[in-house]
Amino acid sequence: MHLPDGFLAPQLALALWLLTAVIVGIALRRLAASRDTAGAAGRPILMGLVGAFIFAAQMFNFPVAAGTSGHLLGGVLAGYLLGPWASTIVMTTVIGVQALLFQDGGLLALGANIFNMGIIGTLGGTLFARALALTLGNGRSARIGAAGVAGWLSVMAGAGVTTLELGLSGTTNVSVGLPAMLSVHALIGVGEALITIAALTFIATTAPDLLGERSTVQHSILRRAVAGFGATFVVIGLATLFASTNPDGLNSVAQALGFSHFQAGAPFKLFAGYAIPGLNGTASTIIAALIGAVAIAGLLFGLSRLAASQSDKR
Amino acid sequence: MSRTTPGGRDARAAVIAALLFVLSIALLPMGAYVAIAFSWFVVITAGAYVGISPLRLARRGGIALPFVLAAIPVIFLRTDELLWSGAIGPLSLSISGAGLRIALTAVLKAWVSVQASIVLITYADAPTIVTALRRMKLPDAIATSAGLTIRYLELLRDEARRMLRARTARSASPVGTGRERIGGSISWRARTTGNLVGSLFLRAYSRAQRIEEAATSRGATGSLSIGTLPVADPRLTIKVIGVLALVLSLTLAGALLPRL
Repeated sequence: MHLPDGFLAPQLALALWLLTAVIVGIALRRLAASRDTAGAAGRPILMGLVGAFIFAAQMFNFPVAAGTSGHLLGGVLAGYLLGPWASTIVMTTVIGVQALLFQDGGLLALGANIFNMGIIGTLGGTLFARALALTLGNGRSARIGAAGVAGWLSVMAGAGVTTLELGLSGTTNVSVGLPAMLSVHALIGVGEALITIAALTFIATTAPDLLGERSTVQHSILRRAVAGFGATFVVIGLATLFASTNPDGLNSVAQALGFSHFQAGAPFKLFAGYAIPGLNGTASTIIAALIGAVAIAGLLFGLSRLAASQSDKR
Repeated sequence: MSRTTPGGRDARAAVIAALLFVLSIALLPMGAYVAIAFSWFVVITAGAYVGISPLRLARRGGIALPFVLAAIPVIFLRTDELLWSGAIGPLSLSISGAGLRIALTAVLKAWVSVQASIVLITYADAPTIVTALRRMKLPDAIATSAGLTIRYLELLRDEARRMLRARTARSASPVGTGRERIGGSISWRARTTGNLVGSLFLRAYSRAQRIEEAATSRGATGSLSIGTLPVADPRLTIKVIGVLALVLSLTLAGALLPRL
């Protein structure tokens, strides 16, 4: 689900960078405001360690059926451990380090990746889980069950939004890509949900204070109703968005936003055909191709030698 | 080019160059293969200067290629510039030239862009890049979190590996198929994995507590500066101007060079 560079229209990639920066900025302010009062959320060292933990936890997988395995992305889990704002910062960091260290996701597409997984998956997923848990009475099983549902939904929403972004960029066909992506991620989401539930149950049993288990105060009916309405709204909104996605509509949006001109032809051409001036026909093309091939081979050889000598110097 | 200690080099120019370069590749129009090839030569030249051979770079760049799956539908579902249409059994299929161009351009751009970020991370290691980003006004909370994540990444991954090995030794992974399978149902396996995740978190948490206590006893106040900020690169402006010129010429090349 980590988008590499090249698949997103640059305007969309830059717009998502901007949107991500604004929301991460809000998360930073909320975090700074709560730093004095919050326990786990305001601890930078813990945030760094949780980042490394999410990285390592993504290595854990379990076989589901032949050839496929369930594994963890960890957005909602991080949200439960640190709170929505601190976990958004942690996931932003994790996705950034993944792009930087492991080339998992592009640099220009980093804004989109943080938006899809860090903001929709983590911030959205955690806030949704809180609302759902509140609706269900906010007891221990309600909270953990809500985390499972939110985990599944965060994977589905992330995959859906990624496909819509690709559709807006013209690099995929949404009417085919969306069902394909959602059906695959429905399974991946089950893995996410099960691991999130099991991990939270383990932590709640072993170290209940880390999850704020003490705060099982009864909330008013009104508050629960509002939370329930919010959670339902999110589910219905997502379902409607994905169910009614019309590729023609998406194409017209792409055109309106000006993405489609990236598919336009060249305004004028410097070299008409690949031909050697003064020579015509097939011979000219073959000679041009040969010269090109020799030049490229020479260049590659030269650069390999240079790389070897530079590497020796180190 | 000699490597200095982590954080001991001003990598701002390299970070700016990589970002602008990737942006200029993204701005290249569909079918601008010649311009993409040109940008690839720029990347492999830079790669050679930091000590990676073009072949190794090309191989490691392959990490982005599986994403081509996302672009495959446009090849068959677009109806413009039909190259071929016919029926295979009950399926009627067509291949669109425009779709093929979109898919190929996206894959090539992804491939070259990945190589650009590999060159960046080879030139400057992760802590150096975080330090450069910190100098470029990356918020302190993110820089501190990123620095610590990078620092403790391998440690926790090692811990995870040990736990995975222990799990395998206790037969939580299936051997054989059907009735031969051992290790319980899917939910049993998910619970086992979840318990590992939970237990890894507790270890990370107690480690964080120990580090916090050590940091507090040494007078830390919350912001953890990862490495000292290096001496500013005196030629930063010239380098950035050079990068801008390169990026502009790439964009121009995209507009002027022939497209297929």
